[in-house]
Amino acid sequence: MRIISRELKIPVDRLSPGTALQDLGVESIDLIEIIFALEEEFDISIPYNANEAAGTGKGEASQNGLGKLETIDQIAAAVSSLVDKKSPA
Amino acid sequence: MNRVVITGIGVVSPVGCTLGEFWPALVEGRSAIGPFSVSRSERLTTRIAAQVSQFDPALFFEPKQGALMDRFAQFAVVAARAAVQDSGLTISDHLALETATVIGSASGGQTTMDDAYFRLYSENASRLHPLTVPRLMTSAAASQVAMDLGLKGPAFCTSTACAAGTHAIGMAFHLVRSGQAGIAVAGGAEACLTAGTIKAWESLRVLSQDTCRPFSRTRSGLVLGEGAAVLLLEERAQALARGARVYAEILGFGMTADAYDITASDPDGAARAMRAALRDARRNPGDVDYVNAHGTATAQNDRSETTALRAVFGQDAGRIAVSSSKAVLGHGLGAAGALEMAVTALAIHEQTIPPTANFQEADPDCDLDVVPNVARQADINVAMSNSFAFGGLNAVLVASRA
Repeated sequence: MRIISRELKIPVDRLSPGTALQDLGVESIDLIEIIFALEEEFDISIPYNANEAAGTGKGEASQNGLGKLETIDQIAAAVSSLVDKKSPA
Repeated sequence: MNRVVITGIGVVSPVGCTLGEFWPALVEGRSAIGPFSVSRSERLTTRIAAQVSQFDPALFFEPKQGALMDRFAQFAVVAARAAVQDSGLTISDHLALETATVIGSASGGQTTMDDAYFRLYSENASRLHPLTVPRLMTSAAASQVAMDLGLKGPAFCTSTACAAGTHAIGMAFHLVRSGQAGIAVAGGAEACLTAGTIKAWESLRVLSQDTCRPFSRTRSGLVLGEGAAVLLLEERAQALARGARVYAEILGFGMTADAYDITASDPDGAARAMRAALRDARRNPGDVDYVNAHGTATAQNDRSETTALRAVFGQDAGRIAVSSSKAVLGHGLGAAGALEMAVTALAIHEQTIPPTANFQEADPDCDLDVVPNVARQADINVAMSNSFAFGGLNAVLVASRA
């Protein structure tokens, strides 16, 4: 949440786990910057292709079992599952 | 005002470096997208591109001349020589003084830059090759074409990302139309397939790992390409007087800025560019028979371009054939618009509409006649070629049967 707040330049107290990024006015380039910042912070690789929005529901993130990346808790869940995979201990 | 015709076409493309290879691949929808080979590719996740795999500089250049040029400039020179040869025109010393050279490129000497920075930062080299700057500058292609062919008229480079080739041809068209140049050698060149550039594109999350499927519901993003196309533009009366074969006449050029977003496109900016080109051409939307779309196969572009086409063509939008050459050629960035104007001119000349290849299923958001997978014979009087660059720089050319 701290990273999302920093990337979006939105005070962290305006964010909550259920907040939908769309409601924050997040555009696709913002989401890509958030993903980049999370990847750098946690040393993970988040599969995401902006063209998922084409509406096939067959985007990479869904194919990789991470589900949608539309709300803050969805993103947090995806990040923590990738971090877990990285260090199974 | 002079009338301006296309009398020569030269290409260096992922489907071949002669028109005899280029045009049939487009008509048959044979995609050049596949595995590629670049230095230091180990950490790339992208496995596909449209690479010019059959290009051996030694076939075209003495070692000393070839060494002065980055790959993108080599592409430009080879395409420019081919365009002049194709036109049958002999450019005399006198004619050379009034021949313009306009070559677009989005990113210039990427191979040179990638190699230099690798040496500098990874191998801790203490010095770089002395030709690093002359090879990498984005205007080097224009300079090298002018030097190689001895062209001494107006010369410059346009660098407007994915519309650079279209802006180059458009500006050259204006130079010939206004009489500032009698002839123009104009097009675009790009050799952007380096590990660094591809990595940067990967970070934008718009590259397909499948293939390029413009306007298809199953599209999954763009695929990078490379190459060059150069057209020889000539004042019409002079071309007819020497009995030149004329591919098409350029009627109009329109350009606008979205003033909206650095990556996303705005349908309004695209629509205004198409209207400007039609106005410049003194044609109505209803006169257009074929549109060679920007058609990158990103979710966003194809939807936005459809909206723009619907806005401009209204009821005619359903009647006009629209196809994207990027399924075959990939996205050659600054070369793309020039390659696609070459396709548009050939479509007019051959009265054949090349298809949108790799098409799988219709997308309700792109409800146009996108000529899926199969070419068709058609009566093409007026055609349009669209380029909508990152950062909202739009360029549109309109051409007609000679």
